[in-house]
Amino acid sequence: MDAWLDFARGPAFRFALAVMVLGLLRHFALALLSVRAILRRAGDKTLPVTQIRKATLSWLFPVKKLGHHTLFAAASVLFHLGAIVAPLLLAAHVTLIEASTGLAWPALNPLAADILTLLAIGGLLVLFVVRIAKRAARDLSQRSDYGVLLLVLVPFVTGFLAAHPGLNPFPFTAVLLLHFLSADLLLFMFPFTKLVHVVLLPATQLVSEAAWRFDPDAGEKVAKALGKENQRI
Amino acid sequence: MPRKMPYYVEPYDLVGRPARFLEAFAAILEHSTYGPVIDFYARLKTRCARCPDLCPVYQVTGEKRDIPCERSDMLLEVYRRYFTTRGKMKGRLLDDFELTDEYLDDMAESYWRCTACRRCKLECPMGIDHGLITHLARWILSEIGIVPKALVVSVREQLEGETKNTSAIPVPALQDNCAFLEDEIREMFGYEAKFPIDVKGAEWVFFPAVSDYLLEADTLMGIAVVMQITGGSWTIGTGDFDGINYGLFYSDRMLGRIVRNEAAEVRRLEAKGVLAGECGHATRAAKGFIPTYAGGENAPPVMNIMQYTHRVWKEGKLPLLAGAIKERVTYHDPCNIARSGWILEEPRDILKHICADYVDMFPNRRENYCCGGGGGSVSIDEIREFRTKTGGKAKADQIRATGAKYVVAPCANCKKQVREVCEDHGLSEVETVGLHDLILKAIDWDRVKNVKKETA
Ligand code: SF4
Ligand code: SF4
Repeated sequence: MDAWLDFARGPAFRFALAVMVLGLLRHFALALLSVRAILRRAGDKTLPVTQIRKATLSWLFPVKKLGHHTLFAAASVLFHLGAIVAPLLLAAHVTLIEASTGLAWPALNPLAADILTLLAIGGLLVLFVVRIAKRAARDLSQRSDYGVLLLVLVPFVTGFLAAHPGLNPFPFTAVLLLHFLSADLLLFMFPFTKLVHVVLLPATQLVSEAAWRFDPDAGEKVAKALGKENQRI
Repeated sequence: MPRKMPYYVEPYDLVGRPARFLEAFAAILEHSTYGPVIDFYARLKTRCARCPDLCPVYQVTGEKRDIPCERSDMLLEVYRRYFTTRGKMKGRLLDDFELTDEYLDDMAESYWRCTACRRCKLECPMGIDHGLITHLARWILSEIGIVPKALVVSVREQLEGETKNTSAIPVPALQDNCAFLEDEIREMFGYEAKFPIDVKGAEWVFFPAVSDYLLEADTLMGIAVVMQITGGSWTIGTGDFDGINYGLFYSDRMLGRIVRNEAAEVRRLEAKGVLAGECGHATRAAKGFIPTYAGGENAPPVMNIMQYTHRVWKEGKLPLLAGAIKERVTYHDPCNIARSGWILEEPRDILKHICADYVDMFPNRRENYCCGGGGGSVSIDEIREFRTKTGGKAKADQIRATGAKYVVAPCANCKKQVREVCEDHGLSEVETVGLHDLILKAIDWDRVKNVKKETA
């Protein structure tokens, strides 16, 4: 069992982390390159920079969206807060990351870490309920949307149980192993699922504005490619 | 077998449509700048379901196909299947998705149920611009012949017809019309206002929605009076006097040709820039795309008439009576000038001054609801019921809630649509007008005449 645990938190973790980091970097780089590719051909190379910056920040730090609208919006923001902060600042993780990568930073106190973890778990459950209860969300959902929810849920629940043996009805080592493996899988899957939004979000307002910067000759070239240059409307 | 569309389409080649759609899609991806955008969007699928709450169409129908994300995904799915390596492989192995005639018909219907109002984008955390995808999808569809006839005939007349404008008004008729409006102003107010025609070296060339010359006499008279009182330097050009640009609604090929003509007319008249009339899409098409198609940084600037009027009024050149309009007035923000936060306060400032009882609709400004006829759909008479009862329902509710007598809709398309929405929702007492219609009623003529005497 110990060998499995060591494998899961050692080489498997490092591999998953590497895939995640490289994969996400690739996505981000592609996004920026696409903006460059557009602007290079665009007839109008200006962009509404202030508007882009405002929109991007409003979604990166969606404080205003909290009171907004629905339970869903609030749950989503709280979930993201917990899900981003807790894993990064948990004492056990900080130690592990330091051992794997040599990078270290201060850890959160255990109570705060617990609260954030529970926010993440609670938020996820609300997201799940909304997905099945709200008609539009249900209509829109595909199997992978439920899959991703599960993929994220397991490491948080097992992590919480592992940190609170008193609350854990299952064999400790098994839970710990499941925690390691599910977390590895989660990291590994980031670039291949909709989780890529974590790196695409900061670029997306920029891409959506650049999208209206057209190539002035596109129309004529398309007409030519389709054999319509001399065709009347 | 292709299905009958809800809108009229001119006869086109029905054989091998899916293959020809893919051919057109491929050509556009290769030769335009859409490729990187579509590729980016295709990788971003969070499906969080926030956007349906904002779409006026979905709010009424509740149908899956009207969810903005779902609609956009129709085109993105075709892209993933036919233009990405992963999709091509998966398609070969699993045979899971194929572009069929039926799918094509669904797209052809769906992308004209969306008015490209871009309201949904406001709440999309991923910033996906469904208006852009609708815009692209319509272009591809139009290349295989699927496009509402109402729009094509207009563009045909504007680009290749004899009159060179969408309402087919010959130049002599335009001149008559302007002379007639000058007479009207003289009769009504005892004031000489000119509609200058082909004046070389004027500062601005005027591009209203050309249909205003047939339908919106008050708006045009208001504009002419404002220009005359404030000494505005403007002209109508007989080479091109139509700001309408239906290319914005179905084809970048047409969009580019139309704005190039506008820029050429500005250069022919040795003017500085484009003065767009009260028309949302005409203003956005010129402002957003003249730089693209006619000279980048050196392109002629574009100003909307409401911006001009607001400026001269602030400068004290335009005397307007406070509270001159007694009835309750509200303002409809045309999507094409309001959604991006561009022209919001100028008309409101003026209205709050000249109206004794001004109320905003709710929601408003950037978050305002589309009139329901956006994206060119207002020209399609055969879908009127869908436009007014579905797309326009939110607008009807908004207007009713204000209890206003006048709805100011500074856009030719919005005006037509709001009038029909009001008719179809029993709001018969509501009158839809332009901003300059009300300004005309609020001119402080005593002070105008004084101003003239003083300067004389
Ligand atoms: S652009 Fe407007 S009509 Fe189209 S999906 Fe978005 S909100 Fe609905
Ligand atoms: S709001 Fe954006 S991400 Fe969410 S479902 Fe709509 S389009 Fe998709």
